[in-house]
Amino acid sequence: MGGLIALVAAVHHECDVVNEVVCVPADVKTLFEFKEPWFTIGPVNFTRTSFLFLLAALIVVALLFFGLRRNRMVPSKFEAAIQSLVEFVRDGIARDIIGPEGVKYTPYLLSIFMLILVGNFFELTPFINFPIMSRMAIPFFLSLVTYFIFVIVGFAKNGLSYVTAIVWPKSVPVALRPLVGLIEFVSTFALRPLTLAVRLFANMVAGHLMLSLLLGSGVAFILAVGEIGPKAGIGIFWFAFGLFIFLFEIVVASLQAYVFTLLSAVYIQSSLHPEH
Amino acid sequence: MEGNIEELKGAIALIGYGLGAIGGGVGVGLVVGQAITAMARQPEMAGTVRTTMFLGIAFTEALALLGFVLFFIA
Repeated sequence: MGGLIALVAAVHHECDVVNEVVCVPADVKTLFEFKEPWFTIGPVNFTRTSFLFLLAALIVVALLFFGLRRNRMVPSKFEAAIQSLVEFVRDGIARDIIGPEGVKYTPYLLSIFMLILVGNFFELTPFINFPIMSRMAIPFFLSLVTYFIFVIVGFAKNGLSYVTAIVWPKSVPVALRPLVGLIEFVSTFALRPLTLAVRLFANMVAGHLMLSLLLGSGVAFILAVGEIGPKAGIGIFWFAFGLFIFLFEIVVASLQAYVFTLLSAVYIQSSLHPEH
Repeated sequence: MEGNIEELKGAIALIGYGLGAIGGGVGVGLVVGQAITAMARQPEMAGTVRTTMFLGIAFTEALALLGFVLFFIA
């Protein structure tokens, strides 16, 4: 248990506390390698990440089920919190961005919002300390779902004129239309799913790395106080800096869930009304 | 002169990421600064401006984050 504890232990043993001022793992690329699966069912390898992914899905279902099970005149505090979250996605994202007809996309937007929120907060949960969105497969899968939804919505709503409006934009001078159309086509159909996934992934990886390195360095230096004497004070600085980043990561975790949902809504809106 | 490009790869990737971060930093600063100006001038539009500001940040930030990912891939 506890990726951070394992990392702290690894950093502590490898760390050259006498000559260095910060502990950096010998090879950062090991953080991106596939871990040994726990067990295998048929063709499916079951790793810690897949377990956490299922756990996140279970938590989301449980939160929504127990929060919205009863429709009472005076909800309890927990029910009120869940209801305000649902209302935030429905009114603040679906209706504000897509418009009145966007309310029917609320279930999808709410599911990805809650899943990413819970998955990101695993980064800050003691003894888990691992944001599931820092494995590229998961954000990329979510962004592909958004991609298919907005492409299918675009074709269903506008027919073939969905593509022609993108590659031959009417609001641009004729001489510029091929160039702008090419840029728009590539950015809509190739770059959108990629940047959507990479944004979430890179934010989470960066936060996870910062937290692990700072808190790991702090612990490693403080524990080595007998060996290096007053230099162990650096550890206190790293640890305090790590705690500050911890607070910052709370903001990043919620903000990235919000941004992913917001951009999904914007992409769906641009498919419904491609002329804008 | 014989040189081994493999040994320099990490350093080159680091410089590339630093250059990529400049644009993203300036861009996010501009977006947030202008959004604050707009909110101060028209507080009643603060909600709309805030949503648009997050969108602008998300689009601007993407290039810097791509640089961050490429730094690890390189």
